[in-house]
Amino acid sequence: MTNLLKWSQWLFNFDVKNEGVWFKSLSNRGIVGWILAIFLTFGYITLYFFPTWLGLGAKGMPNTGFIGFFDPISLFFNGSAASQWFVYGFLYTLIILIMGIKFIFKYRNNNYQIIRTVSLLFFQLCFAFLIPEILASLNQPAMDLKNMWPLNYYFFFDWNIKKLLSSGYFGLFLMVWGIALTFIVSPVLTYFYGKRWYCSWVCGCGGLAETAGDPFRHLSDNSETAWKWERRIIYPVLFLVCLMTLTILDSFFRKNPETYWITFSHFKFIILLLLASVIALGIWPKGWLRGVSRSSKIGYISLAIILFIAIAFSWSYQKPVLLINALKLRTWYGFYIGAIFSGIIGVGFYPLMGSRVWCRFGCPMAAILGIQQRIFSRFRITVNGGQCISCGNCSTYCEMGIDVRAYAQKGENIVRSSCVGCGICADVCPRGVLKLENGPITLDNGKIKF
Amino acid sequence: MHIVIIGNGISGVSVAKSLREYSDAEITIVSSESISFFSRPALMYVFMGKMRFKDILPFSPDYWEKNNINRVTGLINGIDSEKQTISFNDGRFLHFDKLVLALGSQPKSLGLGEFDLKGVQGFYSLQDLEKLQNLSSKLKHVSIIGGGLIGVELAEMFLSRGISFTFWVRERVFGSNFLPQEEAEMVTNHLKSKNINIKFEREIIGFETDEWNNVKSVESQLGEKIESDLVCVCIGVEPKVDWLKSTEVKTKAGVLVNAHLQTNIPSIYAVGDCVECKNPVQGRKSIETLWYTGKLMGEYLGKNILNENPPPYKPGIYFNSAKFFDLEYQIYGDVPTSFSDSIGTVFWKHPSKDKSIRLVFDAKNEVFIGCCVLGIRFRQEVCEKWIKEKWKISEVLPILSKANFDAEFSVRYERELLDIYNNNVI
Repeated sequence: MTNLLKWSQWLFNFDVKNEGVWFKSLSNRGIVGWILAIFLTFGYITLYFFPTWLGLGAKGMPNTGFIGFFDPISLFFNGSAASQWFVYGFLYTLIILIMGIKFIFKYRNNNYQIIRTVSLLFFQLCFAFLIPEILASLNQPAMDLKNMWPLNYYFFFDWNIKKLLSSGYFGLFLMVWGIALTFIVSPVLTYFYGKRWYCSWVCGCGGLAETAGDPFRHLSDNSETAWKWERRIIYPVLFLVCLMTLTILDSFFRKNPETYWITFSHFKFIILLLLASVIALGIWPKGWLRGVSRSSKIGYISLAIILFIAIAFSWSYQKPVLLINALKLRTWYGFYIGAIFSGIIGVGFYPLMGSRVWCRFGCPMAAILGIQQRIFSRFRITVNGGQCISCGNCSTYCEMGIDVRAYAQKGENIVRSSCVGCGICADVCPRGVLKLENGPITLDNGKIKF
Repeated sequence: MHIVIIGNGISGVSVAKSLREYSDAEITIVSSESISFFSRPALMYVFMGKMRFKDILPFSPDYWEKNNINRVTGLINGIDSEKQTISFNDGRFLHFDKLVLALGSQPKSLGLGEFDLKGVQGFYSLQDLEKLQNLSSKLKHVSIIGGGLIGVELAEMFLSRGISFTFWVRERVFGSNFLPQEEAEMVTNHLKSKNINIKFEREIIGFETDEWNNVKSVESQLGEKIESDLVCVCIGVEPKVDWLKSTEVKTKAGVLVNAHLQTNIPSIYAVGDCVECKNPVQGRKSIETLWYTGKLMGEYLGKNILNENPPPYKPGIYFNSAKFFDLEYQIYGDVPTSFSDSIGTVFWKHPSKDKSIRLVFDAKNEVFIGCCVLGIRFRQEVCEKWIKEKWKISEVLPILSKANFDAEFSVRYERELLDIYNNNVI
C-alpha cells in the first residue's frame, strides 16, 4: 500500500509540491525525459508531415489505424470522418482537461490557481474545441474566437478574409471581432491585468504549458544568457509576422484594389500611419524603447525609418512591398515558425527546456503583450519588504525563466515583459514574499498612501 | 584600503555587497565552508530535490568578478590586531585594514558530548547537508532532537525522502517557547496531521554506541530507547566564537560589539549570528541568530564601515517568518508568548483550516504593537507603518485589509477579527 502511494506520488506528484523533481528521470532531463521529448517531437512530425503513417486515409480513402479510431467522435461532432487536425485538437483538449484537473488538485489551497486553471480549461474546451466544431457543423466559418492575430497568423490571409467576408453578417462579425481583439480588447485588458489575462488565463498554448507542462516548469533556463536569446529571437519573430501579414494583405489588395469598402489606398494609408506611430512611440522617452541603450535605440529607429521609406517607395513604384514574394514568405513562416517552432519545438522540448519554450522565445503575441505590459500595464509582482531569504524557489519554478529572486532579494518589484502572471513564484515562496498585483500603485516600496 | 570579511553567509556577503555600492575599497571574503555564497535556509530544499545546489546560489556566478570581490577559502585560526593580519591554519597570512567577523553560529550541544560520536550531527552547514546526502540511502531510522525550526525542517526533509524518524521535543506542545499558546497548538496539530512520529515532553539523557563509537540508539528520560543510526541535534544555535578566545577580541556568548557593531578593537567589526550587542536597541535581544538580522547588520556595516561618524545600528521594527511544513508564519513587532493585563490581544482562528491572525496592543493606551499570522500573509510595510506611528488598535482593525498580502481571490477574514474585537470590548 505504501509502495502504491509512493508510486502514485512519483507518477502524478499528488499532494507533494515539487518534492524530488530533480531526482526523477522524467523531470530532471534524465533518460525518461529524453525519451518523452523524442516521442513528442516525432509525434508532432508524423502528425504534421506524415499523417498517413497514423492511418489518415489518403485521397478520399477511409481512415484506418490511429486516426480511424477517432472517426466516430468526429462524426458525432461535425458529421465527417476525422482529419489529423481533429485528432490533434481532440487529444490536445483532452490532455489539458486531465492535466488541468491534476494541476488544480496540486494547487488546491490557492484560489488564484484554481480559478485561473478553470478559465484555461473553459476556453480550451469551449472556444478552441466545441464552438469551432459546432460552427463547422452549421456550415459557418469555424474560428477559435480567442485566437487572435499575430498568434493566429493566418487571420489576415486572403483565403481567411474571403471566407469571412463571404459568410454574411456572422463572417463580418468575426472579421471585426478579430481586429478589435488585437487592437482594442487586448491593450485594454493588458493595461488593467497584465498579459496574464491572455497567456495564463485564455491562450491554448498557455493552457497546455500550464497543465501538461507543469511538471517541467523548473527546466526553463533562468540565466542572463537565456534572457538575451529570448529577446534576440522573439522580437525578430514579431517583425517577421508583421512583414508577412503586410505582404499578404498587399498582394490581396493589389488583386482587389476597389472590391471592398477598405480600398488599396486606404490600406496603404493605414499601414504608413501605423508605422509612423510605431516610430514616434519609439522616439518618445516613455515609449516601447524605454530602458534600451541609446545606441540600440538609434539603431532601431533608423531601421524603422528606412523600412518606412522603403515601403513607401515600393508602393509609389507600383511594386510589391519591399519586393518580397508574399507566397514564399508565407510558406516559409508557416513551416518554420508555425509548425516547427510553435509545435514541434514548443511542445516536444517540454521535458528538456521547460514548458514555455514557444511562449518565451517565439510567440509574437507574447512579444506584443509583453511590450504593453512593460510600458503601460498596472500589473507587477510586489515584493514584501525585506522578507526574502534568497532561497531560489521562485526563480527555479518560474516557467518563463525569470530570475525572480534577483529582484526579490533587493526588495524590487518585478515588471518583466515575459512574465505571464501564472503566480507560481508567489505560491512556492516559503516566506510569503511575492504577490501578483494590478491595483493602483500606492503601497509599493515604502511609499504607503491611505 | 583592504577590508577582509571572515564568513560568507548572508551577513558577510551583505557587508561586501553594500560596501561595494559605496566604495572601491579592496574586499576579500574568507570562508572555510564554501567558495560560493548559498542561501542557508534553502539547504533543506536541495535534500528534498526541489532545487539543485546551484539553484540556491543567490547571485549569478559572474557577480564576484563583476563587482571585484575576492573570495578565499581557508580556515582562520588567529588574529594579530597589532600587525593587522589574520592567519590561516595552513600558515598563510592576510593583511587587513578593517576586519569584519561574520562567523555565524553553530549547533548547541546537549552537553552529553554527543558531537564526538559518529553519526551525530547538527543541520547547519553545507558539510552537514553533504553528510546527510551521503547517508540518505543507508539510513534505517533517524532521531531528531529539539523542537525548533531546524527540527521541523529535518522532519520535512526526511519525510519527503521516505526516511523513518523520531522527532523528540522537550516541550508539551511544539513552539511554546517562541509562539503564543494558540499558535503553538495549531502548529503542533499541523505537525501531527502529517502522521510523523513526534514525541513530546521528552529529554534525551544518553546515547548508546557500538565499539567503533557509532551511535546506536538514543534514550529519553522516560527510559525509552530508540535505535537510530543517525542523530540530528538541533536544540538551537550559539555564536561560533570559541576560537576567538585566544585572540584579543572580547567575547562573552558572542563577539561583543558597540552600537556601531565595532568590537573592542577599533579596526575589527562583527555582524550576524556571532554578534552579542553590549547595549541592544530597546525591545531587541543581544544575540539574534536570524537571517534577517544578519542581512540588516551587513547592509548597515557595508554602508558605514568607512564612515567617520557613523549613525548607530538601528534594526527597525522586528519581523521574522518561518514555515512549518505547509504552514507559513509571519511576525511583525512585539508578540509575547503569554499575555498579561498590560498587553491585550485580538485573536482569530479559522474553525477548520490552519489559519490565524493575532493583533497585539498595549492594554493601557490601546496602541498597536505587533501581530503574527499563520497560514495568511501580511504586508511588512503596512504593519511597520502602524507600529512605528503608534496607531491605535481601533484604527488598525477597520482597515486591516490593507495589510493582507495573500494571493488574489483568497478568502478574507478581517471582518471576523473586527467582530471578535467589538464583542470583547462590549
